[in-house]
Amino acid sequence: MKGSLLTSTAIHAIVLALALYSFGAPPAFEVQDVESLPVDIVPIEDMTRIMEGEKKATAKETPAPTPTKRPDIVPDAQNTGENSVDLKKTPVPTKSPKEVEIAAAPEKVESPVPKNADKANDIKDIIKDSAESAPATEVAAKPEPKRDVKPDPVPEAKAEQTAKAEDIPLPDAVPLPSSRPDQPKPEPEQKQAKNETAAAQAATAKTPERKKEQPKKESAKSTASKESDVLADEVAALLNKQDPAGGGAKRSTKEESLGGSKASNASKLSQSELDALRGAIQKNWSVVSGMADAGEIRIQVKMKLDRSGEIVGDPEVTATGGSAQARDVLASSARRAVLRSAPFSNLPADKYDAWSEVIVNFDPSELML
Amino acid sequence: MEQVGLAAVSEVSLWSLFIQAGFVVKLVMVGLLAASVWTWAIVVNKWMVFNKARRQFDQFEQVFWSGQSLEELYRTLSERSPGGMGAIFVSAMREWKKSFERGARSPIGLQMRIDRAMDVTLARESEGFEAKLSSLATIGSAAPFVGLFGTVVGIMTSFQSIAGSKSTNLAVVAPGIAEALLATAIGLVAAIPAVIAYNKFSGDAAKLNARMEAFADEFSAILSRQIDEKLQPRQAAQ
Repeated sequence: MKGSLLTSTAIHAIVLALALYSFGAPPAFEVQDVESLPVDIVPIEDMTRIMEGEKKATAKETPAPTPTKRPDIVPDAQNTGENSVDLKKTPVPTKSPKEVEIAAAPEKVESPVPKNADKANDIKDIIKDSAESAPATEVAAKPEPKRDVKPDPVPEAKAEQTAKAEDIPLPDAVPLPSSRPDQPKPEPEQKQAKNETAAAQAATAKTPERKKEQPKKESAKSTASKESDVLADEVAALLNKQDPAGGGAKRSTKEESLGGSKASNASKLSQSELDALRGAIQKNWSVVSGMADAGEIRIQVKMKLDRSGEIVGDPEVTATGGSAQARDVLASSARRAVLRSAPFSNLPADKYDAWSEVIVNFDPSELML
Repeated sequence: MEQVGLAAVSEVSLWSLFIQAGFVVKLVMVGLLAASVWTWAIVVNKWMVFNKARRQFDQFEQVFWSGQSLEELYRTLSERSPGGMGAIFVSAMREWKKSFERGARSPIGLQMRIDRAMDVTLARESEGFEAKLSSLATIGSAAPFVGLFGTVVGIMTSFQSIAGSKSTNLAVVAPGIAEALLATAIGLVAAIPAVIAYNKFSGDAAKLNARMEAFADEFSAILSRQIDEKLQPRQAAQ
């Protein structure tokens, strides 16, 4: 036995030695450096929601509005544009060759027979013309002759108009009401004109502008109508900005691409928030048992909620299917459930636009939202 | 239980696995290694013993059936104190001699005594064949469980090290699991030969026992005939 034990030990020693040798540290498993793929989890709303961009641009991966030139960043700006103050107004093009032509075409102004009804329009046109012609001076520095042509017909036309306007009875009332719309109109114009002409060549068309202003004032005085007040507001809206270009102050640096004019920021309730709402109502809903056709009835409750989660007004209950009696019973039970569950205080305040109006579908076999 | 610092380990050679193992796992591994050594010791021993016994049986049967006188055979064998069939033959012959030296009276009593003597020797011899086979059976059945125990403990330790290092990185877990599996591997290494050897040697032992029993029966029949032949003339003479 001793001999066999020794033999066995010897065999084991040999086998172990071989195992230690052959099962030595295995070669390290070398893994080649693989470029890691970044994976983003993107909610579907990001893809389906309309994003701010340019309506006429070609579609790109991410919509972006036309790039702005100004680099300074205005905090909390919502509307894209070059303005220094964030305004909702869409940008008004400051320069276009068309306007110059309008300003240069005197026939239009001359032709209309001066009537009371037309006067308002004329004034509007003139005002617009003047507003637009002001920047035109800035741009069209080259067509010098035009400038000379322009002032001549315009004052003429206006002179005629004023002359005709004076023929109208009730001239006495003229000065009093006209003083009101008179004041806001020329002032911004003058400012604008001065600003822009200063920015552009100072030498160009200073005199024609003055010439223009005077007839305008006259015409404004002469037209004593309340319509001009309404127009004045509009005009003031157009002119009362620091920069006639208007627009917002949010800067865009990306290349323009297809998108909506404004990003929609509609929020959606998450599943768990929906469940919370569902659970709150379900807790208070007691289905009247023992009705034969209860399973076929579907009740829909529409309710409006205020920010604190209280129901605003009366929830609108509509029930379909089943017998009229069962419908009434279940509809009132659903209504009670909703009223009893109010206020829905556990809804997220920042998603108020998602739950300001809630439609609850009651299924007597299963409460659903 | 020992906390094994697995996080910093990258060495996974067999030896380092053993060294890194916890105390319990080490104990299990060493125990299983010892069981394996013992198993193979038994295997070697039995293999030699059974081969020798088979050879002896063959030789003895050859001599026994060669027509040689039983007295002569007894004289030569009793000096060598043989095992197996020889031992049975010697014990039976000794009993026979003792009985005749003192003058046997009853043939039935003599027959019974000879049978007893042969039975005792047969039991002793077969016990020798079957000795230590039971330990083979024990190792064969228990070693996998012992190895499994080591594995469970090792895996527990590696999970503790996961909890300790707060990382589920495979590099943290893998050495612990490899070390734990080593215990099961050693258990199987010990158990598989043990089971095979047990089955083979218990079969061999049964065969040798059957051969000895057959010889004992045959020899008993021969002796019974001899007793009748020897006692009959005496009775007739009286």
